[in-house]
Amino acid sequence: MKGSQVSIDGVSKSFGDFQVLKNVNIEIKKGEFFSLLGPSGCGKTTLLRIIAGFEDPSDGDILLDDASILSLPSNKRHVNTVFQSYALFPHLSVFENVAFPLRLKKLDRRAINARVEDYLQLVKLDDQKTKLPAQLSGGQKQRVAIARALINEPSVLLLDEPLSALDAKLRQHMLLELDAIHDKIGITFLYVTHDQEEAISVSDRLAVMNDGEVLQVGSPSEIYETPADIFVATFIGENNFFSGTIVSVDQSSAVIETKECGRIHAFMDKHVTTGDRVTLAVRPEKLRITKDRPEKCDSGLNCVGGVVDEIIYTGFLSKYFVSVRSGVVLRVFKQHVNYFTEESSIAFGDKIHVWWDVGDGFIVEANAS
Amino acid sequence: MRKNYGPAYAMPVALWISVFFVVPISIIFLYSFLEKGLYGGVVWNFSLDAYRALSNSTFLKVALITIVLSIAATIITLLLALPTAYFIARSAYKNFLLFLVIIPFWTNFLIRIYAWIAILGNNGFLNNFLISTGITHTYTQFLYNPFAVVIVLVYTYLPFALLPLYSTIEKFDFSLIEAARDLGATKSQSIFRVLLPNIKTGITTAILFTFIPAFGQYAVPQLVGGRNSFMLGNIIARELTITRNWPLSSSISMVLTLITTIGVLLFLRLNRSAGMNIKNEKKK
Amino acid sequence: MPKTKGRFSFFVFTTTMVFFYAPLIVLIAYSFNNSKTMHWEGFSLRWYYELFLHSRDLWKAFGNSVIIALTSSILSTILGTLGAIGIYWYNFRFKKYVQITSFLPLILPEIIIGVSLLIFFAAIGLQLGLLTIFIAHVTFNVPYVLLIVSARLDEFDHSIIEAAYDLGAREIDALLRVIVPVSMPGIIAGFLVSVTLSLEDFVITFFVAGPGSSTLPLHIYSMIRFGVSPVINALSVILIAGSIILAFSTKGIYKYIFQK
Repeated sequence: MKGSQVSIDGVSKSFGDFQVLKNVNIEIKKGEFFSLLGPSGCGKTTLLRIIAGFEDPSDGDILLDDASILSLPSNKRHVNTVFQSYALFPHLSVFENVAFPLRLKKLDRRAINARVEDYLQLVKLDDQKTKLPAQLSGGQKQRVAIARALINEPSVLLLDEPLSALDAKLRQHMLLELDAIHDKIGITFLYVTHDQEEAISVSDRLAVMNDGEVLQVGSPSEIYETPADIFVATFIGENNFFSGTIVSVDQSSAVIETKECGRIHAFMDKHVTTGDRVTLAVRPEKLRITKDRPEKCDSGLNCVGGVVDEIIYTGFLSKYFVSVRSGVVLRVFKQHVNYFTEESSIAFGDKIHVWWDVGDGFIVEANAS
Repeated sequence: MRKNYGPAYAMPVALWISVFFVVPISIIFLYSFLEKGLYGGVVWNFSLDAYRALSNSTFLKVALITIVLSIAATIITLLLALPTAYFIARSAYKNFLLFLVIIPFWTNFLIRIYAWIAILGNNGFLNNFLISTGITHTYTQFLYNPFAVVIVLVYTYLPFALLPLYSTIEKFDFSLIEAARDLGATKSQSIFRVLLPNIKTGITTAILFTFIPAFGQYAVPQLVGGRNSFMLGNIIARELTITRNWPLSSSISMVLTLITTIGVLLFLRLNRSAGMNIKNEKKK
Repeated sequence: MPKTKGRFSFFVFTTTMVFFYAPLIVLIAYSFNNSKTMHWEGFSLRWYYELFLHSRDLWKAFGNSVIIALTSSILSTILGTLGAIGIYWYNFRFKKYVQITSFLPLILPEIIIGVSLLIFFAAIGLQLGLLTIFIAHVTFNVPYVLLIVSARLDEFDHSIIEAAYDLGAREIDALLRVIVPVSMPGIIAGFLVSVTLSLEDFVITFFVAGPGSSTLPLHIYSMIRFGVSPVINALSVILIAGSIILAFSTKGIYKYIFQK
């Protein structure tokens, strides 16, 4: 059984005066691994609970394969949830926890045994069948919860920050396992998290939410490379921001007078006109740092001179903090390719040039003047 | 969202309590405003006679006795329970000692009263002992008076006072007393200014669990009290079954109910400000 | 620890312990007394013989006590458990009403409950007997069960209920397969408290019992009214010994009830 398409159609939700979700519209494709990413309180968990059937929306609809599921109670929807606290039944063994949905359907014993074995093997827990939840580690509980949610063969699996209670190494491991399970089973996964690394590493697409609204939907690379606004740009990855006014525009690019480093060129990925105030973002790994001024500085590259304020060595890259004007510090990340011949030659206090390809900057905010 | 099954779950218990508790209490409330029937029961005429009778001196005397005996029992109980609870809480064998305190209370309530009758009676253990050792020559009347009632009330309610006191004292940080001594406090100062204020919830709970039940007592004064130590509970029963004045029995019952409810509400308010919750008020 | 408080509290503690135990020791000792009075006249087991062989009414009353305790506790546990579940998880119009009215019996004096039930039974024309005792016992036990089960409901992770629905459970499935098993320690505790209170009860039972129906406490009361008799002493010893044996042999149940 493969996954369903999920349509979140104009969903709003208020608790009293407080509006948690504001007209959320998202289309999730069949079989996608889709993430809802956002800070605590942005409404992502509420949205998940509405899809699962534990809350009713104040407005809007949820459709599974173009059929509304709002009128169905949670126990009749083909949607299953992996809870943040795992919610394992403390009085039942691992086997019985996973078998629970099947026992409700009154399948016969042999069928139940066979299916439970299959799913326990899928999550690699077939040797823990008789243990009680209290005897399991966090990661094992996680896997029981996953097996239990999948055994019903739902068309959509909802995961509510399932890895938040695990330590960092285990989280990475479990994330890869989740990805593998998704590939194997092929149903739609809807994954809620506040951790941007998790979201961009396994999702096919994701939605960034804040304050009850969806700010951007797209593939991880789209969101990373072309964030829609400052919030998305800051929430994912790191940035250098340049703010200024548009001085002139032509077909595809604009010239911005910035307070950080004078005039720079940028591609127009948003519609702007002369006089608009804009913020441009450039990721630190896109900035280059060299002792000599590059030749193409005025045709295709933006350049600025500065002094190295601080260097942080992290083994696989160095983070340079460069002072380009009083009070303005740019962050440059340079991966070590040939540390001892190249990167180590730049030292604290050196006068250097920071430059980037015009196409690597993106406008994240534009205000008409 | 799932259907609201709350009413389905709560309806059975709501019905039962309504029929067998709310209705009976309402009937008593009603009867207190009706006229007494000739041979018992009520006549369906509105009358405030039952309440007017409460200003009668006999009733007031009984009310006074009830108050005095309850207060006396509470005070004595507290005076015994506090040091005992303190001792147990500070002991290395606290669980064992607690267990020792609880065991006598596995016996039936009436048997415990009976034990005192056997001791205090005119032919009881105490009198036999006093006479046979020549301390007295004839029996002394220990039973059927207010003193016997107070003794047995104390005996009945001591564990109810001990447990909350023990529980609060056990949680008390005794280094506070050491600190007070260090700052120059005397022993009694450290008790009255440091220990007692901090175990206030235990003390108020102990008072609640002693005074209110003692106030509504029936069996103890009925068995070991005399004419002049009858309490409100006893005259409620007497008016019901002997004098057959049901409205009067009802009006006294209403007074007793009112006083009890006020007492409990007062206690809840007092303790809420001290940060305690009696009713389980966890919200989902 | 201040020294005088130490000595003073030890003194009060000992006094209290003597106060607690002396009556019982006298009671136990005189159960072996070869005389009807409180005059010691030698060791004898005659009162135990009389208790076991010549007290048919007493044992009938005891039988009634047990039957009423078990049956009323079963019903009050069912009513109280369902009520606790409804109150804990749902909001509905008469919720406050149920909470208040099920709390009141806990604080009102037993005489009030007993007298009100007596008048009620008279008003509806129900004859006093074992049935009225049964009804009264359920009525005063239900609040305790409600309180105890509510406390247990408070202790576990509620998302397991949502998980049950999510996995396809209907309400009855969630109730029988999840809520009841996980709250079982509380339900059993409520049942045991119910049985204990029912066996012990005197005042309420006194007012709602009919002429032919007696329970053990009522029978003891009439024996006491009749006069001091060492048979009561013998009975007391049996009851004390019985409760101690019962308490020790059920230690396992307590552990189960107080588990997390």
